[in-house]
Amino acid sequence: MALLEVENLSIGYRTRKGYLQAVEGVSFCLEEGKSLGFVGESGCGKTTIGMALMGLLPPNGQVTKGRILFEDKDLLQLSDSNMRSIRWQKIAMIFQAAMNALNPVHRVDDQVAEAIQAHNPDLGKTNAMKQVEGLFQLVGIPEDRMRDYPHQYSGGMKQRAIIAMALACRPKLIIADEPTTALDVIVQDQILKETRNLQREFNLSMIFISHDISIVADVCHDIGIMYAGQLVEYGSREEVFRSPCHPYTRALISSYPTLTGKKSQLTPIPGETPNLINPPAGCRFCDRCPGARTSCKTEPPAWEEVGPCHSALCHERKL
Amino acid sequence: MELRRYIFRRIIQIIIIFFVILTVLFLLFRLAPGDPVSRMIDPDMTPEDAELLISQLGLDQPLWTQYVYYVKNFFTGNFGNSFHYGQPVVRIIGDRLPNTILLFTSSIILSALVGIFLGKIASWHKGKKTDTWMTIGALVTHTVFLPWLALIMIWVFAYKLDWFPITGMISEEVWLDPDVGLLAKFLDVLHHMVLPLGTLFLIHFGSYLLIMRSSMLETLKEDYIITARAKGLEEKVIRDHHAAPNAALPVVTSVGLSLAFSINGGALTETVFTWPGIGRELVFSVSHNDYPLAQASFLLIAFVVLVSNLVVDVLYAYLDPRIRY
Repeated sequence: MALLEVENLSIGYRTRKGYLQAVEGVSFCLEEGKSLGFVGESGCGKTTIGMALMGLLPPNGQVTKGRILFEDKDLLQLSDSNMRSIRWQKIAMIFQAAMNALNPVHRVDDQVAEAIQAHNPDLGKTNAMKQVEGLFQLVGIPEDRMRDYPHQYSGGMKQRAIIAMALACRPKLIIADEPTTALDVIVQDQILKETRNLQREFNLSMIFISHDISIVADVCHDIGIMYAGQLVEYGSREEVFRSPCHPYTRALISSYPTLTGKKSQLTPIPGETPNLINPPAGCRFCDRCPGARTSCKTEPPAWEEVGPCHSALCHERKL
Repeated sequence: MELRRYIFRRIIQIIIIFFVILTVLFLLFRLAPGDPVSRMIDPDMTPEDAELLISQLGLDQPLWTQYVYYVKNFFTGNFGNSFHYGQPVVRIIGDRLPNTILLFTSSIILSALVGIFLGKIASWHKGKKTDTWMTIGALVTHTVFLPWLALIMIWVFAYKLDWFPITGMISEEVWLDPDVGLLAKFLDVLHHMVLPLGTLFLIHFGSYLLIMRSSMLETLKEDYIITARAKGLEEKVIRDHHAAPNAALPVVTSVGLSLAFSINGGALTETVFTWPGIGRELVFSVSHNDYPLAQASFLLIAFVVLVSNLVVDVLYAYLDPRIRY
């Protein structure tokens, strides 16, 4: 039984300019101890999925279709207070450190202890603090820096503190939304390594959200490629990288440099993502697709199995 | 430790600024049109007597000698005698200042606390009825003309309903009665204070409400609010513990400024309610060319402005760790 099963999830935002379909018909599942990565450009809906899993969509956002089954319970049917107890205790989130994810007026250790105490009200402050100490050791923040304020931390330390906070209640699932985007590559590498170790140590399931396909390739068992609100290719890391099926996936892979592979010209993807207020009728990528045919413009593509645990949303194979 | 160094640095700055103000004020009074002595000279005086008076006051001395005396007098607390009252200025101010502080400090603190609280509530119900009514109420009371409101308050509550006294700060019959205890005296002052305090409160709480409301709305968009929500905290905890402390910072600045200008800004209120405070005295001294009193009052205002700024800075540093370190 999968820990998390998302079926046909659609999410929209009411905006001034009209109704925006941010996520459409996304399905995936995640086993315990596995990790899944979502890759895509900004605005493709990957963060929206993360927020929907936490039940934290902004007031103008709304799940219009689908189910989110977590441990066999549909999170969308839960009451506010039930959802609140699931947050952090079962599903935690690692935010981007540069985003001010820590409150500037409270000490870092207090903010972590707060998460523990919110879900274990009987636990005293001293016991909670003891746990915080353990967590900070785990992520490598020296003890004498625990009582600092967020602004006294470097970006890497903030990220570590946020990871410590995510682990505070021993959640089953952690959603990491662009966890290393604001960090330089060396710190990024350290954080990713640590995240991987922690994941193994605690048998965590993880969802990684990133615009950087190389990071996702580094940490995740499965990969979902997103484009304009849709999942366009989904499969195991090996499958997706060995034989990328969707033209967008291929374009993404060839637009990132590699250090070890053979030298080749990086290919940018021409064009822009479509407007999601009036999405095109056919394939959403067809305007930028090198192999697009006339039928791509009018007919929406359907999911095709292209290998074991590997599928893509493209017309290419059909014809 | 860091906080102490910060306060020390600010105090040094304040001393320098105060010296500059002291000097500017000295020059300003010498440049002002009108002769300070003309008020004191009566028509029967001979020109010799007038000369004598001028030299007694040191006004025939060169400017820099006058300045040295001025600074010396300032540091020895000698501000001269009021032309009008004939009493030492220090004593007049010493009498009036506590009354002003009592009325304005309490009105500002009261309106700030209520404004912060209501602003928090309004922002939490943004766009709903509660918010709309609170915002409209705040705008209306905040924009009302103060003397008008004061007169209406007196007319309704003191004259028509006769709940509160019309003028003054104390009732003589209570204070002159030797058998009356401290509590009764306190209650008497409180009874007199209700109307001016209520008026000032109505005028001021709206601005704090509006500042707090918009500041809260900004803060609620911050990422750490999403973090707090993701942590599964109760909405009340998010509002009071995570959003409000950050949102209250701009209100603190505003409170500091009001404190600073309450000393003179209260002239209207003090006049309408005949509250024996500094604001009334200042207006009086300026319009009657009572130079010693006016000069000391201006210095006092400068001093209060500087000190309130310091208080705000320290409070800010206490509330926002980013400034402290």
